[in-house]
Amino acid sequence: MLKLFLWLRYLRKKKIVFLSIAAVALSAALLIVVANLFGGFIDVFEQSAVKAMGDVVLEPPIKFPKYEELIRRLEQVKMVESASATLSADGLLHLGKGDVRGVEICGVSNLDTRFSKLERISGNERPPSENEQQVRGFVGIGVVAEPNEQTDEYDFDAVKRVIGQESVLTTGAVIKSQEDSGATTVRRRTIRFTIADVVFTGVYYLDKSFVYLPIEEVQRVLYPGLNGGVAGQVQIKLKAGAETDAALAEIRDVWKGFAAEQLGWEPYLISRTAIVTAKQMQSRYVAEFRKQMRVLLFIFGIVSLSAVLLIFCIFYMIVETRQRDIAIIKSCGATNGSVASIFVGFGVCVGVVGSGVGMILGDIITRNINTIEEWIRIIFGLKLWKSSVYMFSRIPNEIDWNSALFIALSAIIAATVGALIPAIIAVRTRPVNVLRYE
Amino acid sequence: MYKIILSFRYLFKRRVSYLALLAVALCVFIVVVVMTVMTGLVRNFKDNNHKWAGDCVVGTESLVGFPYYEDFIKRIDGTDFVEGVSALVKSYALVKNRNLDWSSSAEIMGIDPVKHSKVTDFDETLHYRKNDAAKAFEPAYAPNLTGCVVGVDKWLMRDEDGKYSYEDSPYEVALLVSCFPLTSKGALAKAGTDLVNTKTFYYSDTSRSGLAGVDSSFIYLPLEDAQLLCGMAGPVKRISAIHIKFKPNVKLADGCEKVAALWKKFVEEKKGAEQAGLLDTVKVQSWKDYRREFIAAMEKEQTMLMIMFALVGVTTVFIIFVVFYMIVSHKSKDVGILKSIGVSKADVIELFLCFAFLMGLLGSAAGVFGGWLFLLKINRIEGFLFEHFGFQLWDRTMYAIGDIPNAIDLKVLAVIIASAIGACLAGAFLPSRRAAKLEVVETLQVSQL
Repeated sequence: MLKLFLWLRYLRKKKIVFLSIAAVALSAALLIVVANLFGGFIDVFEQSAVKAMGDVVLEPPIKFPKYEELIRRLEQVKMVESASATLSADGLLHLGKGDVRGVEICGVSNLDTRFSKLERISGNERPPSENEQQVRGFVGIGVVAEPNEQTDEYDFDAVKRVIGQESVLTTGAVIKSQEDSGATTVRRRTIRFTIADVVFTGVYYLDKSFVYLPIEEVQRVLYPGLNGGVAGQVQIKLKAGAETDAALAEIRDVWKGFAAEQLGWEPYLISRTAIVTAKQMQSRYVAEFRKQMRVLLFIFGIVSLSAVLLIFCIFYMIVETRQRDIAIIKSCGATNGSVASIFVGFGVCVGVVGSGVGMILGDIITRNINTIEEWIRIIFGLKLWKSSVYMFSRIPNEIDWNSALFIALSAIIAATVGALIPAIIAVRTRPVNVLRYE
Repeated sequence: MYKIILSFRYLFKRRVSYLALLAVALCVFIVVVVMTVMTGLVRNFKDNNHKWAGDCVVGTESLVGFPYYEDFIKRIDGTDFVEGVSALVKSYALVKNRNLDWSSSAEIMGIDPVKHSKVTDFDETLHYRKNDAAKAFEPAYAPNLTGCVVGVDKWLMRDEDGKYSYEDSPYEVALLVSCFPLTSKGALAKAGTDLVNTKTFYYSDTSRSGLAGVDSSFIYLPLEDAQLLCGMAGPVKRISAIHIKFKPNVKLADGCEKVAALWKKFVEEKKGAEQAGLLDTVKVQSWKDYRREFIAAMEKEQTMLMIMFALVGVTTVFIIFVVFYMIVSHKSKDVGILKSIGVSKADVIELFLCFAFLMGLLGSAAGVFGGWLFLLKINRIEGFLFEHFGFQLWDRTMYAIGDIPNAIDLKVLAVIIASAIGACLAGAFLPSRRAAKLEVVETLQVSQL
């Protein structure tokens, strides 16, 4: 009770304590915002891989046929929600007068269901096509339009006008020799297709470079001599809550059975098939990003040590000016531990209040970061976040409470450390020296 | 004089002053290190862009290009402010290894290597034909074949030290380069039975400009071949851009202004010509504007980092404030004595601000010295950490960064020191004013002594 009374008294009488609270709050808020933005960026980066490739990717060292059977078997696995085959190649896209760009052609077996309604500019309506025989394809929004230089937003009305337009793709095809040698040569091939829809995933590299076509069409053009289709990769979506390791093990078993029975592959070739999660495929980059984040937090952490010094200064000042209080308390029989706990406890309070305010501030800034960025653009004309630079259309604004709590806890410990030496000085106060009448 | 003596006395006699010094030194140290590295990265990036683009670019973003460039080149080549001019073609292509099932999209740049090296540092970016631009497109294994120079990141992998695994000489690789040829109206030009033009080039060298985006996407071809591939080699030849280098004494803005004026006049004169409409899409830009999209991103990151440091630096202002508040409280007798012998309020404020200045100066000096020492050894420290703990600041296999930049920029340093001193003065101002307001009669009364 006495401690609480003294803490409240110091807070009321020593307004300067609010400075230490402000410093702790400022440092904690900054670290929370940096950790959340960077961490959010990494999460979205990982999620973008899932968006592009599904949860699990199965990729053998060579293209393989009979993929429909593999998909059928995979979809029977309890933990698998769906599977689709893909066949990819690089190509050039001619969109119109003088408009040519390099793209990645992705032949998919689930073109119409691959993207959600929100991701499709047409709103999932099947676009009018005069010629149903015409090949239909989807293109990323960045392939057909550039975001506004100032706002980084696309002109959706202009983009909608592209739907239904005819385009030409060129790519290389593998042609098998008719002779016994079985040698292959690569020839250029062109694909005419109608842009059936434009997709906007919000992931810049997907939107900027991908053209999606039915896998059958890509097979026909790339491997014209083959009977039946081939696929380069199978992308698998797992059911919600599926345990990844168990799912991977089951998928491996399915693949081994399929490759041995249907393809007649040797165990060596089967074992060289990569069956990994999309997140594992990105792990090298994610590890590098996490390292960068830690370095940044470390630098800001060191600078934030100033807050410890500040608390030390303020508490030192309080101890010096409150010598009489301390002496009276000690003369009433308070132990050294009790006296120390008054100041250490007060330090903890400053840490708790400061980090609490910092967490609230960090939360507000993080959640409204896109609005703040928009206002900076409007007021200063400075566009800080561009999808072409940072990959995503929006700044990730999710709060990671684990890292926020860790930072808050560190702030409390730092505040306590700052109060420690002044507490020791307080303990050393000798009532006889302070209270003698001279 | 007494202000200086008292400032030193307060600084060395009051142990709490050391804390303020430590806080200032810590902040200055971190800011010097981080800003030096960041500024170095931005400066390198800008330099590499400048070296890659030359001083001024007269060009169009349209893949159709623009005609009559030879007339304009003749006109500016003879002027007293231009040192070199290089015409180039830029387009997209599909590149395939003739012997492998491998293809990739790329950006192609058709250049005359000798002329281009007079404008840019192209010859210095080569590996096998370094400083021998005339032979850039001559493969060492077959000089009669048409060669191509490939961006180094498109061709080779970097090891963990950021070094490329070059062979002793280039090995024979035939690359099929396919482009959509476009007519002057932008439509697809039919090339035989196909819609694309294809030509085989032989790998002759790699180019390392130090720009990750460029080195991972560009393939350099002879200008005439690129014009043929892109359909720009008709009776009226077309190109995508003219890159210009100014003479050393010409200021960038002045040079660009002169080129813009000449270009405007040229367009006027060509009005009515068959393909004159294509000239309207051409812009005259300095290299900074030409590469603005890329440079601005890095500059913004630097700005954001500075803002964040400024926010954290506020804590230092708080520390100075508290320390001065304490010193003023303890030295009220000094202030009383000074005022009693006629020192004015302004002089008292000046005394404490002088002390704050000294604190800022010494704290900055300590921080700068520590930062300088750390930067001096930063690459060795990173090497040690990598060797013993596998830690690298940047994974060199992923980032096109060599050594960590550690050359301190004096301008940046001056700004940091000035900011630190400014922060000290700001933090000390309120306590100084409080000191100045102290009444002699109160501070020197017997009960206070």
